[in-house]
Amino acid sequence: MAVVGIDLGTTNSVVATVRDGQVVVVPNSQEGYLHPSVVSFSPDGLKYFSVDAVARRILDPKNTVYSAKRLIGLPFRSDEVQKALVRLPYELREGNNEQAVFIGPDRTYTIPEISGLLLGYLRQCAEMFLSDSVNAAVITVPANFNDSQRRATVDAGRIAGLDVLRVLNEPTAAALAYGLGQNMSQRIAVYDFGGGTFDVTILQVENDVFEVLATGGDTFLGGDDLDSALLSILADLFNAEHGIDPRNDQAARSRLLIAAEQVKRHLSDFPEARGDLKNIAVGSSGEPLALRFHIARTVFETAIRGLVGRTIQACQDVLASAQLAASQIDEVIMVGGTTRVPMVRAEVEKYFGRPPRTDLNPDEVVAWGAAIQAENLANAGESLPSRAVLLDVTPRALGIAVTGGFAERIIDRNVPVPVEQTRIFSTSADNQTSVRIQVCQGESRRFEENVPLGELELADLQAARRGAVSIEVTFKVDTNGILRVRARDGATGAVREAAVNVRGAMSDSEVEEAAERQKYREASNLPEVPQE
Amino acid sequence: MAGMSSEQLAAFVRQIFPRLDQLSYYDLLGVPSGSDQAVVRTAFYRLAADLHPDRHHTLADRELKEQLEMIYARVCEGYQVLTKPDKRAAYERALNQGKKRLTTTDRDSRGLQNPEDSIKHPEAKKFFRLGMISLGRKDWKGAVMSFSFARTYEPSSALVAQKLSEAQAALGKPGGAGGAPPKTP
Repeated sequence: MAVVGIDLGTTNSVVATVRDGQVVVVPNSQEGYLHPSVVSFSPDGLKYFSVDAVARRILDPKNTVYSAKRLIGLPFRSDEVQKALVRLPYELREGNNEQAVFIGPDRTYTIPEISGLLLGYLRQCAEMFLSDSVNAAVITVPANFNDSQRRATVDAGRIAGLDVLRVLNEPTAAALAYGLGQNMSQRIAVYDFGGGTFDVTILQVENDVFEVLATGGDTFLGGDDLDSALLSILADLFNAEHGIDPRNDQAARSRLLIAAEQVKRHLSDFPEARGDLKNIAVGSSGEPLALRFHIARTVFETAIRGLVGRTIQACQDVLASAQLAASQIDEVIMVGGTTRVPMVRAEVEKYFGRPPRTDLNPDEVVAWGAAIQAENLANAGESLPSRAVLLDVTPRALGIAVTGGFAERIIDRNVPVPVEQTRIFSTSADNQTSVRIQVCQGESRRFEENVPLGELELADLQAARRGAVSIEVTFKVDTNGILRVRARDGATGAVREAAVNVRGAMSDSEVEEAAERQKYREASNLPEVPQE
Repeated sequence: MAGMSSEQLAAFVRQIFPRLDQLSYYDLLGVPSGSDQAVVRTAFYRLAADLHPDRHHTLADRELKEQLEMIYARVCEGYQVLTKPDKRAAYERALNQGKKRLTTTDRDSRGLQNPEDSIKHPEAKKFFRLGMISLGRKDWKGAVMSFSFARTYEPSSALVAQKLSEAQAALGKPGGAGGAPPKTP
């Protein structure tokens, strides 16, 4: 039985494992190591995964889901999902418990189900490559993923039939892969510019103990945004030539987006890109319209300067919260495909005053670390030269709503996990027999300016004067960064616990059902039974 | 670092856990009270290397594992407090008052939200309260009736709708409909 580390990415995923003390990366069916995070559905219930699904982004954009990581664990009405909707060619609507659900050709799918399908496929790739069964995994997430995003990632793993040993922060995984801090003390910045997210994390590493000092970033900034910037350039050129804006035509837009991604890669290695894109759109008399273009790297750099600037600003903010100066960082690690863009490297070098480390493949380094941690957890790291201890922190402050529209903080940002804190609250009205405890994540004093996570209600309180009833609220964050909330009625001495109803999450029974369905599908290798 | 055997770990937990609340952060981390940040950090790293839950992922004894996690969480708390100057100053004051742990003890002046605050219409609020009382008595039929009335006064309230469907679900359950409403006092 093998355990794997999975970097479940916005654009690509990577699977790795430790074999005989060495990290090995599971190849895809086309001799590469990146597994595109794409799942496509056909009306007869068949599914296409990853490399086999990529082409279907153009052939069948409505039924081909990509960038699911941008949606996972977020309520349908959240700003992030609404922003993503504008750009995504497939259809989403609001399902049970405020979830965003994908409207597939046969039925609707929740986002953890989509990611679960992909994870199941990745598991099968690993099983074939290793000739061994895989039933447990460490899955990585961006350090600034919130509680519901982490939970949803665990749900996706469960749906794929995986025991999720740990949800590991991507930057911590990267630092682990570099094997830094062996017999020395270092301060490291991990600059992770991936397909869909950006984050920066400061770690203190000392004799195999990795402590996250601070972390921050932007869950909605990534290589996709660079592609979009290039798409705009291409679309403007096309519009100038043909008088048609390809952004209004879903198929044309998809084709240009794929071209934009290729142009971006080319511009990382060459000062200019030329091309001739055929059949982008159809003209008024049915003729195919092409685009011949010539883009200099400098034009691209002007278009993305603002985006890269946002990452440097995030570095500044994170260093400030760790009370450090850029010059106090001993090593900068580059993670994520977007760090191949020369301007990104140059700006990072300028800011930190030292060339960043790029010796490990920025696309694979996170999966490496995840594989090492999986080995550490499942097999007590026996085959590894050293056993790292990863000390993670809470990515955001956690609190609850109190009267007057305020948020009362219970756990601070950047405190080491596991952590447990209790605060005592009271009722706000005479004869109030129930309290509503709304949980939020964020640093603002105003509740509405934070991210709501969910709520629980404590009922059957003793009727008494306002303020006479005390309610103990306990927050516990485990080593996965997942929050558990307990509310206790202090006045009657009775202990009552309630589970948080997490907004935008699948229920336990929904997850189990989905896992069963997937197990059936894998066992029979057939399209799943249509629902009645 | 030598690392702990499982017997050593069990002995350690049995010794520390029962008196966790009597130990100061200095006791827990094993450092003298005047120690500077670097000393505290080194001590914390050494403890983390032995006690971190990841080190004991495969531990079968659930109770031992849970107690260990609580000890480790307190160690983390101690590290956090002793390395943040403002928190450490507050902790020194708490220690002088005989407290071993830095907690926010003063009861918060603000109360928790009353669920019914979201209901605007006074009649809707009145029936909502009646419905909640019925729910508390497991009088599902009465609850459905009251929440239905509340809804006629304020159809837009999500809370009323939610409670109504809760009551309806309870009423629909086997045994739910048969349960006679308790006698009114």
